[in-house]
Amino acid sequence: MHKLNDDEELYLEQIALKIRKNVVRMIKAGKAGHLGGALSAADIIAALYFKIMKVNPQNPGWRKRDRFVLSAGHKCLALYAVLAEMGFFNKSILDTYGSLGSKLPGHPDMHKLPGIETNTGALGHGLSIAGGMAIGLKMDGLDSKVYVLMGDGELAEGSNWEAAAASSHYKLDNLLVFVDRNTLQISGRTTEVMNYEPLYKRWEAFGWCVREINGHDLKQIVENGTDIPFENRKPSVIIANTVKSKGLSFAEDRVNYHYWKATPEEFQLADQDLNELGRRIGI
Amino acid sequence: MSESKDPRKTFGEALVEVGEKYSNVIALSADSSSGSGLAPFKEKFPSRHLEFGIMEQGVIGFASGLATTGKIPFVVAIAPFVTARPFEMFRNDLGYMRQNVKVVGRCAGLTYSTLGATHQSLDDIAIIRTIPGVVIINPGDPVEIKKAVHSAAEHKGPIYMRIGSPAMPILYNEDYRFEFGKGVVMKEGNDVTIIGTGTVLSKAFDAAEILEKDGIHASLIDMHTIKPIDHHLLIKAAKETGRIVTVEEHYLHGGLGSAVAEVLALEYPAPLKMIGVDDQFGGNGPYEKLLGLYGLQAGQIAETVKEFIR
Repeated sequence: MHKLNDDEELYLEQIALKIRKNVVRMIKAGKAGHLGGALSAADIIAALYFKIMKVNPQNPGWRKRDRFVLSAGHKCLALYAVLAEMGFFNKSILDTYGSLGSKLPGHPDMHKLPGIETNTGALGHGLSIAGGMAIGLKMDGLDSKVYVLMGDGELAEGSNWEAAAASSHYKLDNLLVFVDRNTLQISGRTTEVMNYEPLYKRWEAFGWCVREINGHDLKQIVENGTDIPFENRKPSVIIANTVKSKGLSFAEDRVNYHYWKATPEEFQLADQDLNELGRRIGI
Repeated sequence: MSESKDPRKTFGEALVEVGEKYSNVIALSADSSSGSGLAPFKEKFPSRHLEFGIMEQGVIGFASGLATTGKIPFVVAIAPFVTARPFEMFRNDLGYMRQNVKVVGRCAGLTYSTLGATHQSLDDIAIIRTIPGVVIINPGDPVEIKKAVHSAAEHKGPIYMRIGSPAMPILYNEDYRFEFGKGVVMKEGNDVTIIGTGTVLSKAFDAAEILEKDGIHASLIDMHTIKPIDHHLLIKAAKETGRIVTVEEHYLHGGLGSAVAEVLALEYPAPLKMIGVDDQFGGNGPYEKLLGLYGLQAGQIAETVKEFIR
């Protein structure tokens, strides 16, 4: 387990802000994009890449690397932003979002850019693929871990629960899921659209070791994310309570910012909010 | 034809052979291991067999993830439950991700003749054929099954292999050379070309012999690879014999017949007759009788050919 000191926390806050700024930058370039989930997951993704996971931008296929599976593929703007920040590819590529032939489709494609492990987008696929990776890594005697980010609305897909059962059957204690519980999906409040409660008990009943955190508290994310397995011979899941569109005051926790077709005025507001945050944390 | 062999048992034996050759070959089943001929593989390589129970969507995703770590997964289960049921997983997690996974649908076609349409698979080739980059192999005899399993392990990329269950007559010698994407001319003739595939190749073979006795010289092609299909051989056959008849234990829509029609219509139009199951759910009853219901017995095929070329 790693406990962040204040300097480390500030550094990750700065990374998370850069991710948020680049998410907005891509949406500006493409005129529209999946905003809300990318911003609710931005702190988790910053912490994963800049503190928790072993990855090497100079050698993306490194055999002993940890794997990240973005099951909720529509949050990929945050993934593109963090990979660019780490140097997997040049940041100028971010400005191609939305253009013909861009390497940044609206859901990620592993064959288009280095550092992307899976093609996701259709929901409910990521956990099975991650489970297969986790078994394969164990077969090879590697201690690499597999990290998955899922949306809470996505949990209505039955295929997730097939994968949850198999992951505990195979005792995949090298597997950690973050549920980005921002409580909103396209049609409304997730528990009203299709109730997933009791979420904690549900994962527990499937044989997982469960923790619940504030998904914007970098100290909590890192402390728990570097502490797996939570229990030997069990897969781990973190229910991360987040706010959709976190960081943009006009959009936070509002259902209509799942997919954002922004007006010039909204872009201005977004820049104001993010620049103000930047001034507070020194970038 | 003197001898027949169980295709599932043959598949299982072949998988042991490739398992011995390649330590990264693994087998995944969905409560389907014994029925898929996996018993010898499980016994020989217990740590390389993974059971997933009746988890027919999830098993495809797990196979995809395993392939990312360099394994060569063979996923084996009843044909509709590895194709129609998890179609999106097949398309995205194997096709779109270009994973080196081999999916084997067994008891395909009308094999489960008495169990009815839920367990029959008459659309598997049609739907998997829409996925870019997936090779579809439909072996026509036990020797071909064995060779195809070896080739599948050596090919890098997703493959769908279709096998039946009733004993298959042996049509090839052991020295037969199997090559993906290359149809095999099993018999030469100038009057018409019969193209057979998979479980009913032997029926097409017998039909060609019946026709020969009646003075009709049919050419016979074994089209074991449905995708990519052998354009060159199809056009050559159309040029040389003028008429083509396809024979398959599959829907007429989307299977071998459709694949052949697509090539001929665009590249060398020629009269075509397709034998298979038309637009209906499969019936139920004894297997051979069911084949007869759809005109897939050798005598019926021969009659259809005669009428077609008359």
